[in-house]
Amino acid sequence: MKLPTLRKELWFGFTLMALLIAGALFMLAAAPVITNGHLGLLMLSLVVVAIMLGFPTAFTLMGMGIVFAFFAYHSEKQSAGGAITQTLDLMVQRAYAVMANDVLIAIPLFVFMGYLVERANLIEKLFKSLHLALARVPGSLGVATLVTCALFATATGIVGAVVTLMGLLALPAMLRAGYSVQLSAGAITAGGCLGILIPPSVLLIVYGATAGVSVVQLYAGAFFPGLMLAGLYIVYVIVVAKLKPQWAPPLSAAERIVPLPPQLERVGASADRRVLPVLLGALKGKRNHDVPTSYLLQQLFVALMPLLLFVVVSLWSYQTVTRVEPVEAASGLQQIGTGERYSPAAGGLQEPPAEGGLQEPPAEGGLQEPASEGGLQEPPSEGGLQEPPSGTLSEPPAGGGLSEPPGPAGVAAGPSAVAASAATSVPGADAATRQPAPPGFWIGLGAGALALAIYYLLLSFARLEIFKMLLSSFFPLLIMILAVLGSIVFGLATPTEAAAVGATGGFILAAAYRQLNLKMVKESVFLTAKTTAMVCWLFVGSAIFSAAFALLGGQELVERWVLGMNLSKTEFLIMSQVIIFILGWPLEWTEIIVIFMPIFIPLLDNFGVDPLFFGLLVAMNLQTAFLSPPVAMSAFYLKGVAPKHVTLNQIFAGMMPFMGIQVVAIFLLYQFPGIGLWLPQLLYK
Amino acid sequence: MQQILLAVDRFSTWFGKAFAWLVVVLTVLISVEVFSRYVLNRPHAWVLDAQIMLYGTLFMTAGAYTLSKNGHVRGDVLYGFFRPRTQASIDLVLYVVFFLPGIVALTWAGWTYANESLAIREQTFNADPLPVYPFKFVIPLAGALLLLQGVVEIVRCVVCLREGDWPSREEDVEEVDVEQLKEMVHVKDADIEALDKSLLPPAQRQEGA
Repeated sequence: MKLPTLRKELWFGFTLMALLIAGALFMLAAAPVITNGHLGLLMLSLVVVAIMLGFPTAFTLMGMGIVFAFFAYHSEKQSAGGAITQTLDLMVQRAYAVMANDVLIAIPLFVFMGYLVERANLIEKLFKSLHLALARVPGSLGVATLVTCALFATATGIVGAVVTLMGLLALPAMLRAGYSVQLSAGAITAGGCLGILIPPSVLLIVYGATAGVSVVQLYAGAFFPGLMLAGLYIVYVIVVAKLKPQWAPPLSAAERIVPLPPQLERVGASADRRVLPVLLGALKGKRNHDVPTSYLLQQLFVALMPLLLFVVVSLWSYQTVTRVEPVEAASGLQQIGTGERYSPAAGGLQEPPAEGGLQEPPAEGGLQEPASEGGLQEPPSEGGLQEPPSGTLSEPPAGGGLSEPPGPAGVAAGPSAVAASAATSVPGADAATRQPAPPGFWIGLGAGALALAIYYLLLSFARLEIFKMLLSSFFPLLIMILAVLGSIVFGLATPTEAAAVGATGGFILAAAYRQLNLKMVKESVFLTAKTTAMVCWLFVGSAIFSAAFALLGGQELVERWVLGMNLSKTEFLIMSQVIIFILGWPLEWTEIIVIFMPIFIPLLDNFGVDPLFFGLLVAMNLQTAFLSPPVAMSAFYLKGVAPKHVTLNQIFAGMMPFMGIQVVAIFLLYQFPGIGLWLPQLLYK
Repeated sequence: MQQILLAVDRFSTWFGKAFAWLVVVLTVLISVEVFSRYVLNRPHAWVLDAQIMLYGTLFMTAGAYTLSKNGHVRGDVLYGFFRPRTQASIDLVLYVVFFLPGIVALTWAGWTYANESLAIREQTFNADPLPVYPFKFVIPLAGALLLLQGVVEIVRCVVCLREGDWPSREEDVEEVDVEQLKEMVHVKDADIEALDKSLLPPAQRQEGA
């Protein structure tokens, strides 16, 4: 039963090889004079054949490179001895150039960070909290799977591990909930591959090093296409869940229940009661049945966290924005850098006017019932809320409210004091020395305030529990990724520095999850060494190989040949993407990039294609290769942990729609290059 | 025979693993430097050179370790479907044709290259110079390690040709270790089997069990 499939694979491979060799021979025969350039092309086709035979690629490239480099030197009327010396020189210099490459150095660090984060073992919690948080969305489990995959794959970049882990966690959950096998498998495999594209990804570093494109720009450019792709996947799952509920049934009420801690229940909490009134009531002592006040304060602190954050950020940005000189640049930075982290507060970030709202609190009458406030100025209500506890704390706000960062103070003195000091101390006195805040602020503040007000209106105990779970799984990872990415993209740190700090972050994360031990570090270290050696030795090989290819003049021949075809820009792009897509079957992405990009990149100039844009297309394209049967790796990883009756064909069938979405995404990116180029142009032009 | 092969494996592995710890050094060095530069405003010029040397040494010396664990990327579309004897003959030929000349040349050229650097006591071009020649000696070192490991691999091919099966290797950490991952997320084989049964239509469930 197994034989026929084996045959098919072998036939396919051998046919491809034979075609390549036949093509190369035909070209040699057709050429009027056989030049070195033709030898170069022969070398190229031979190398593909040799790689398909299965010998380690790095050494294939290296060996073939020196043989052909020797030919190239020897043919220039050079003695054999002299040619050997030249070849050796070329080789060692190329190898040394890879060793001293300051772009590739980020690879071991990102890989290391990935292994550490993977072993920090927060995926279980992440998936659970996301699936509860998204319970009301149609196809919630599918959406939660995709979000988990996207986030975890981005942080770790290890496709195999993400697909395997999600196969163990999400697949059973989805199947038990009655999801169709295809949809479940598709969501897991497609989601697991997102890490290839969404920065910080190793693929983009490798492309940047090969093509000489700034990794920083690549990261900035790949960010939105990556999010777009993830978004399209999610939209697809939601649409399917709406149209075919039998494929993705909604969660039953029992599965949506969030268990509340007993202490809270004793205070009178139930899943849909609003948090603030109950907690405050309990604090006042009315219903405080032997639940320690510190515990209640802790809960209150968690509940008020978004508000505190909002206050801190708005104060901070008020300072930055109203400072006289660097207004624009600075405000732009914060807007994107921090804004995206906390969507509810996002609107308000740039907008110091928060202060405006904050000062008013004194006027508040209706403190007790913050929720009923109509949602206008949420801060006021907060100010009021704190009053009871802050009475005991009674911290006279120090002089310059603005200069005193409320965050730390708040942490020390308890949540209530923060807002209180913030509220009382921000007065416009300072504003005299500063530029007045632009009117846009007030709008932003309003939006942020409204969002917060709605948040507190809806904040039930069940939601508070979910929020706490997210706080310990989703947000740390998100913040880590955005911090690493943000510092790179906004030019605060080089990719290498960010990667190193990210690896340190991985240590901290692992320690926070009690997973940091010698065994785990050892494993990560050794795996890092192996992965790095694999990628970088490939670079050593390909550096020697492409030097030989250039020496032989293969590049010129390719260029003449391609230009001779009189392609338009579109035709060229389509052709190159199709070639890369086809190569994605027999070869791995590393091989494709290091061997073939040096051939494609010099052609781009002739067609006026931006290498940065080309890189984004290539990254998207290579990601598709991970999902294209029959070699899609992610399918095999999933099959390895799936129940026996989930067949490989079902998994492939499930992957097809997602592959279709990828093609749509490539098309969208091509049609609207702005999706990728907008951010780099905004930041670096 | 097998003992010797494994001993060489262990030697390469030990070497590779020893240098693998450089990634921790690298992480700490850069993190400290980031702190020192951006927070204390006290940058060190030599750190940039040092980090490149650490990275270069790390991956070069890990080459033999990776080879001993069969970890270098190969195009396995077809390779995986070959019988072991076919695999071994392809490998044997290509080790001799591509690997040996390449690595011998690299080791040889690297040795000359490093010695030239030593002769002039080459330093980095920097305000706080570091010596470059030890770094350059990493090339012949890594080459020699690889060569040794390559010879072992060639012997493995021959053994496989004779016996029709690949000689075993020692276990090492795997990127995707399914058992370990299962343990990590607390999934047991029994759970997967139970789930499998629920996938079958009710009629078949009996026989499936």
